Amino acid sequence: MGAAHSASEEVRELVGKTGFSSDQIEQLHRRFKQLSGDQPTIRKENFNNVPDLELNPIRSKIVRAFFDNRNLRKGPSGLADEINFEDFLTIMSYFRPIDIAMDEEQVQLCRKEKLRFLFHMYDSDSDGRITLEEYRNVVEELLSGNPHIEKESARSIADGAMMEAASVCVGQMEPDQVYEGITFDDFLKIWQGIDIETKMHVRFLNVETMALCH
Amino acid sequence: MFLLLPFDSLIVNLLGISLTVLFTLLLVFIIVPAIFGVSFGIRKLYMKTLLKIFAWATLRMERGAKEKNHQLYKPYTNGIIAKDPTSLEEEIKEIRRSGSSKALDNTPEFELSDIFYFCRKGMETIMDDEVTKRFSAEELESWNLLSRTNYNFQYISLRLTVLWGLGVLIRYCFLLPLRIALAFTGISLLVVGTTMVGYLPHGRFKEFLSKHVHLMCYRICVRALTAIITYHDRKNRPRNGGICVANHTSPIDVIILASDGYYAMVGQVHGGLMGVIQRAMVKACPHVWFERSEVKDRHLVAKRLTEHVQDKSKLPILIFPEGTCINNTSVMMFKKGSFEIGATVYPVAIKYDPQFGDAFWNSSKYGMVTYLLRMMTSWAIVCSVWYLPPMTRETDEGAVQFANRVKSAIARQGGLVDLLWDGGLKREKVKDTFKEEQQKLYSKMIVGNHEDRSRS
Repeated sequence: MGAAHSASEEVRELVGKTGFSSDQIEQLHRRFKQLSGDQPTIRKENFNNVPDLELNPIRSKIVRAFFDNRNLRKGPSGLADEINFEDFLTIMSYFRPIDIAMDEEQVQLCRKEKLRFLFHMYDSDSDGRITLEEYRNVVEELLSGNPHIEKESARSIADGAMMEAASVCVGQMEPDQVYEGITFDDFLKIWQGIDIETKMHVRFLNVETMALCH
Repeated sequence: MFLLLPFDSLIVNLLGISLTVLFTLLLVFIIVPAIFGVSFGIRKLYMKTLLKIFAWATLRMERGAKEKNHQLYKPYTNGIIAKDPTSLEEEIKEIRRSGSSKALDNTPEFELSDIFYFCRKGMETIMDDEVTKRFSAEELESWNLLSRTNYNFQYISLRLTVLWGLGVLIRYCFLLPLRIALAFTGISLLVVGTTMVGYLPHGRFKEFLSKHVHLMCYRICVRALTAIITYHDRKNRPRNGGICVANHTSPIDVIILASDGYYAMVGQVHGGLMGVIQRAMVKACPHVWFERSEVKDRHLVAKRLTEHVQDKSKLPILIFPEGTCINNTSVMMFKKGSFEIGATVYPVAIKYDPQFGDAFWNSSKYGMVTYLLRMMTSWAIVCSVWYLPPMTRETDEGAVQFANRVKSAIARQGGLVDLLWDGGLKREKVKDTFKEEQQKLYSKMIVGNHEDRSRS
């Protein structure tokens, strides 16, 4: 019973830090243990145990996001080798639904955090800009499963999309002006006024206790 | 030393008397009814008593927990997140619509927001996926006085601990030796009986005797596990020339089904005790045993099964198409081999009640012997067997569709979840063909439209 007390202390700490409820934290902890095989940390290889994830074309980017120091708030760049449960929850908290009880300022903050997570997914070299190369890389990955698409078409799609993004951010460009890449502010500008963060959340089921029925 | 002598002989006498009494009881109440297929109803009475005790125990725990203000029940979850049932196309269209109020025309291209969908889906699967859930044993909401199922009940009073201790005593010191004795009797009778029947000339008498020897021994084994089985719709029982297909939870499934019907088994030749049993059984009636090398050759397997099935005098084959043990909350993909043969398929659904003992064999966690010991030290194994009406493959139906149809029927009857996933995922990784599906769909969406655009 002594162990239970210290565990609930930790849980309360995590509730404060990440904003999940204690029930959700317990469930995620069980999931964490399942993924890590009862170890205290998770490595990249542990994500191989999730068969459904194989279907996802940007699987490697998602797994990478878990170890990205920028998402873990541990540094401006680089990858961690392994993460513990608190780090796991930190990443998961990017996908918490927007609480109705939040005020305008908190909503804006939340939105910015979510969009920043996505920005980091595109910006793989952590230089603060999404260059054409990085953009192409994402498109290629998304289309990677289909053997019929040639690299050329993937490239042209990426180029077209990049041009459009440039026109939104910088406006009309001179013919020899080089667009260096989408910065985070430009990224925010693209999504300004549009309610995109409601799509970036995972809804937790309302868990109820089951009574004994006899 | 001399002082011990009178006590010595007393103890020996007592031991001798108790053993004789035990064996007589065994014979009268268990083996004789097994031979004739009658039942005294002792097991049903046992089950009712146990249920009453479990209910009482849980009430005590509730009361105790309330006094001490502890949380007693683990929240009931069948998955922790709400997954949207919308398809890939719908979601991406919605994201784009909400993202770009400008482009409401129906030629969507790749946009920055497309990544949202895949990102979210990825997160959802990391948080909770269907497949991994199926391979851990089902969790109970009330405690059945077995420490192995005590995941969530931390508060246990003194009275309950005493009861649990009593339970341990009964299970390990009384029930376990009894069950082992029965199992031993059953298996040796099987081996001896079938070998003897094997010496008889072929004919009706041999068939008759073989059937009854098999049934009798399986019934003894059923009692050795204290399995309380309820059979439903026995009129649909498999007939000669058919294939009986069932969902697989543990090796005990074979004993449960074979104690109510006469089947030809299919399997790999083993060494050791299993091998002895297999060789004896095949003398009395034609079972289909494959050598290890033959198992890999699918055509050979299919050919032998077809030959067996076409001979109307031969028994119905018993097959478990999932290929591995599942934890009895769902039915996984059926391997299509047995459905290609073209015989009538008799589906059977088996559902275990986990309250008395969890029958799921997690072969990565426990070996066979450990598993059997766990089974024999549980209270009982309670299950229901439903015989479903026979199905045949339609002319324009593929083997895979047929297999899925049978699987859905079994899942529906047994109250199990029907999953498309391969039971082999317990050990291997996802096949590449599955990976391509989603990606093809998405890429079709983008490239197809891009071509339209560039053309116009």
